[in-house]
Amino acid sequence: MPWSDVPGPYRRAASLGGYALAAVLAGSEIVILALALNPDVNADYRAYYIDRTTTCLNRDAVGSYTLGQTVSFRNDGAKQAAGIKVCGWSGPVADGTHSLGETSRLRVKIPPLSDGLAATLQMAAVIRPPQITQRVVISVNGVRAHAVTLSGKEPRTVSFVIPPAALGKADTLEIAFDYLDGISPTPAASNIYKRSIKLVSFRLDAI
Amino acid sequence: MALEAVVRANASGRLIVVTIAAVPLLFVISGLAIRYAAFASVSEETGFAAYARALCRWDCAWYIGISEQGYERFPIPDHSNVGRWGFFPLYPMLVAAIRSVFPFPTILIATITSIACSYAACLVAWPLLEKNMSAYVLYCAFLLSGPFSFHFTTFLSEPLFVLLTSCVFLALKRSSYLAAGVSSALLSATRLVGVFVVFATVIQMFSEHRRQGGSALSFPHWLLGRPVLLVAVLISPAGLFAYILFLYLTVGDGFAFLHIQRAFGRVAGNPLVFLWDGLSAVPTTGWLPRAPQWSALAAITGLALSAVLAARRQYGAALFCALCIILPLITNLASMVRYVIGLAPLTMMLAVLLSASQLIWLAALVLFLGACYFTTVAWIGGYLALV
Repeated sequence: MPWSDVPGPYRRAASLGGYALAAVLAGSEIVILALALNPDVNADYRAYYIDRTTTCLNRDAVGSYTLGQTVSFRNDGAKQAAGIKVCGWSGPVADGTHSLGETSRLRVKIPPLSDGLAATLQMAAVIRPPQITQRVVISVNGVRAHAVTLSGKEPRTVSFVIPPAALGKADTLEIAFDYLDGISPTPAASNIYKRSIKLVSFRLDAI
Repeated sequence: MALEAVVRANASGRLIVVTIAAVPLLFVISGLAIRYAAFASVSEETGFAAYARALCRWDCAWYIGISEQGYERFPIPDHSNVGRWGFFPLYPMLVAAIRSVFPFPTILIATITSIACSYAACLVAWPLLEKNMSAYVLYCAFLLSGPFSFHFTTFLSEPLFVLLTSCVFLALKRSSYLAAGVSSALLSATRLVGVFVVFATVIQMFSEHRRQGGSALSFPHWLLGRPVLLVAVLISPAGLFAYILFLYLTVGDGFAFLHIQRAFGRVAGNPLVFLWDGLSAVPTTGWLPRAPQWSALAAITGLALSAVLAARRQYGAALFCALCIILPLITNLASMVRYVIGLAPLTMMLAVLLSASQLIWLAALVLFLGACYFTTVAWIGGYLALV
């Protein structure tokens, strides 16, 4: 039966039904769009995925650690190092664990301290001429602890005392590495792929 | 006499129906044979299950994960930054639904479903190709036995995407706007770019309005006076909106499918720069183009074919295809070959163009079937341009 043959009242009802359905669809889509524009996510998600202010997606990883113990970040220490690495690392491989992106983080649980702490790290720079040095700023629990410029392919031992302000009564230690000279694999590549250092080992000592 | 003519017409009609059904079936079989031969040449395993597993490369693993385990919440398990949210849900949902009835391995069900979708896409293409048998044969050969037939016969979104795209354009051709709207809704739940097909619908409506003597300015009023058309337009992106709502409720971020692209290393940039970088990545040894060159050439060919569609007054299809190429091109050239060959209006146009002369048609057919073997070997070997 052609549409024009449908009796007037039915046609009007169908027409009204069509408008009602169109209104429901439009309304639903506006509401869903409004929800999507106001994401309900935590700060870590927002920083990495939405604002893109970090290349290191924070996670709740906390590694167990005994003071005075050297943790290898080469293949041989993969199991223990895995618990300590929070984000911004790839590997490990034979020459250490490579940093990925503009920031990397380690996090360990520490016993109550009566004295200070010293950190000893073995690190090597990732070099691709003309970039032959790597500047690294190391922060502990958000407090700037040390800055170093690495050069050469051989690993270098970097030691520093952790500022008391960073320790306080903290039972965990978060060590952040900020890289100022990361090397992109290609000019168009994302900054999550930047390479800066190879971490070979990590150690904390009470002082 | 009249009865005889009717009988003859019926018999001829039946023959055409049988031919239309048999041609893609023939290429399903030949495609399976060629791809299996390619698989057998590089694998020590045998059997259909091993073949299906071998062809499940790259994104296929993500679709299997979605089909079997669904989407993750945040934080993503195993301390990963990369979630499944970037992959749209309709096809893995369909495979999961079929698996709930037939308890076989996911990849087996997906492979068979993909072949069925591609076969159906061929049948839908028959009226879209204006019943041009030469073009139809070539199109079927391309999808089911061609150099990229593995994309249309393994667990990727392409088989369903091509089928639904064809359904949308067939519905538009017949001015069945509601059917086009529902197909578009499904298409927008298959891949993000599927949502762009709504522009083709609006363009078709506009053309119809103009054919009826309406002016451009009176189009909005004409459209608002037709609730069925309004529903057709508004229902078109419903699949995308449903997925956005799902992501909001599970992850807390309705645009997680976009935001997750950061973890895949996709960065927005100038498409022209990406094209130039791709073209200028010349091989250091040999003459065969490198993967970025193939990707750039695919994008350029796709855009050129979109222009041909526009020149033939298929404005809706042209805009849809151009947007489907340009949107991913904004981030980089990755998967560009797959994206271009998955655009049904372009491959149909290519089939029509290659059917212009018998010699070219024959050469194209032989090339499609011959290249299928080598590209399948390259796909199994992980050749980057085919990703």
